[in-house]
Amino acid sequence: MDFITGEIVGILLFFIGLYGLMTKKTIVKTIMSMSIMESGIFLFYITINYTDGSVPPIGQAQEAAFVDPVPSALMITAIVIGIGVTAIGLTMFMHYKQKHGITHWSRNRNQTGSEH
Amino acid sequence: MLYLLVIGPILAGIVNILFKKRDTRPFIIGVQIAQLSYALWIFVQVRTNDTIFNFMSGVPDGLAITLMADIISSVFVLLTTIIFLMMLLFAYHKEYFNTQFAFLFLVLQGLIISLFLSTDLFNLFVMLEVSTVVVAILIMFNKEKQAIYDGMIYFFVNVIGTAFLLFGIGMLYRTTGFLDMRAISEAIVEVESPRAVLLPFAFMMTTLSLKTAVVPLFSWLPKAHGTPSAPPVVSAVLSGLFIKTGVYMFIRFSAMFEPVIQVQEIFFLIGFITSIFGFIMAMGQNDIKMILAYSTVSQIGLIMIGLNMGSEIAYWGALFHVVSHALFKSTLFLAAGQVYHQYGTRDIRMMRGVLRAMPLTGFAIIFGILGVTGAPLFNGSISKYMISYGSYRPIVQFGLNLINLGTITYFVKFGSILFGKDNRAEESKPPREDLLSELLVFIMGGLILLTGVYGPVSMDILFGYQVEVFSAEYFEKGIVYALMILAGVGIYNGIIKQGGLLDRISHVELTFNAVITSMTGFFLFIAGYLYFVL
Repeated sequence: MDFITGEIVGILLFFIGLYGLMTKKTIVKTIMSMSIMESGIFLFYITINYTDGSVPPIGQAQEAAFVDPVPSALMITAIVIGIGVTAIGLTMFMHYKQKHGITHWSRNRNQTGSEH
Repeated sequence: MLYLLVIGPILAGIVNILFKKRDTRPFIIGVQIAQLSYALWIFVQVRTNDTIFNFMSGVPDGLAITLMADIISSVFVLLTTIIFLMMLLFAYHKEYFNTQFAFLFLVLQGLIISLFLSTDLFNLFVMLEVSTVVVAILIMFNKEKQAIYDGMIYFFVNVIGTAFLLFGIGMLYRTTGFLDMRAISEAIVEVESPRAVLLPFAFMMTTLSLKTAVVPLFSWLPKAHGTPSAPPVVSAVLSGLFIKTGVYMFIRFSAMFEPVIQVQEIFFLIGFITSIFGFIMAMGQNDIKMILAYSTVSQIGLIMIGLNMGSEIAYWGALFHVVSHALFKSTLFLAAGQVYHQYGTRDIRMMRGVLRAMPLTGFAIIFGILGVTGAPLFNGSISKYMISYGSYRPIVQFGLNLINLGTITYFVKFGSILFGKDNRAEESKPPREDLLSELLVFIMGGLILLTGVYGPVSMDILFGYQVEVFSAEYFEKGIVYALMILAGVGIYNGIIKQGGLLDRISHVELTFNAVITSMTGFFLFIAGYLYFVL
């Protein structure tokens, strides 16, 4: 099972999320697919350039190679941004639903949403 | 000290919120003027000395988050500060200029400037993501149903687009070990095979094509830029400036990948298709803002043509077209805002006699139209001339003339609002717009003429590129232009007024899922194309 690495799973998750975005008409599912896609990216980042047996770059221990700290640092930022974006997306959706009762992407911008 | 340009407007926005009980407008204008003079100073510094670098937190080059002002980015920053000063002066007496609006608008300015200055890929991602949020909120500023729907589409499409960029950055970091663009372009030569950077390139180009709104990824743009209830300054900044961040990043990214991947032909073709598609869609619109939004699609296509033609003069012509497009498109959007506020409708068939009702705005619209269609002595003509000078292939010349004819045709339609008889009843007319905004629109219009008459001079000052424009050939093009106006009027009266097929084509819209599907399709297309070419 060597091919199940973090990178491969990350890429798979990214495209699963993309599939959800392409096919699902519900706005909530769009937001969920977006989160799945982002988790795929996070997983990809934190496993790139990882070698077995390396240690976190903390303290003065020199017996093993250090892990590259940059991807993890980037991902902390990206996760925070991801949370913010999800929150804003949900806020927009809730506002839209409560005011206009629409939960689906409509076909035409001049029509109201479908009747589900 | 380049970071002052980024952090200055954001701090000003926060101060503006802290003192929201008082009138902060003079303070904001003051900050804008300081901002403009600092950008000008940096512009002069870059011209006289050399490229300015700013390494954050004292880390050495290559590892630090870097801000860089070179010939191109200093022009873009200067343009940003000029346009924002104009926009804020325009909005000075408008009712939507409140604390929240000023805060968001100033933050947007800081973000746009940092997109132009930063060379760090991850930094660019963060800025793109935050600017997407800010722009989405600005689009739905009036909380109308249509505006919220448009804002949501804009928001989700762009967030997903930036996720592609983030993934591409990760793959590039895995291969090269750098995040700084200049370091990557040095390291990328060492990559053993171009195939290794094929996927990151395809991911990144998908995002940039979305941001520059080329075919088939443009369908979010008219929704976002032409939102009915968004304040005119927001539409003007989005169409005039914000779209240029995509163009700028396209320039930077293709330069970064140039040693291993060249994609000029394919993006040249995409630019052509985008431009033609843009004017066909624009012809059938009746909403004054939608015409301008589709016109942006068409002009961005023209810029992509110039950038990817592979000749120096066309490249600089395209960069000058970025500047001229920023001027005339923001003028036209502001003027359109004034006009529809006066007439109470956005349907151009209902508006007549603008020139008599609001002369200053009317003249600004005339200047804008002459600029965008490339009339002699206006700035559009200089850039379009330079782009067409880049190639002598008959098919390219034919295509460029076709695009210009299309542009003229839908602007004949647009210009029909200027003349005719005003049918509104006398008592239904709202009070006149405030004088400051009227004057501002007119001054913006004047800038179009000014940068056109002094075209070669402004070209030399802005980009340091000498070009001989006013030759016999230039005036030949003037005659061609006059003929095209006649043809455009003919086509407008003969074909477009009838509606029919064109009307139906131009109201085709993609659903949200279709937009994402076309984005995926575009990614697969670029990846597949590169796989076969390399």
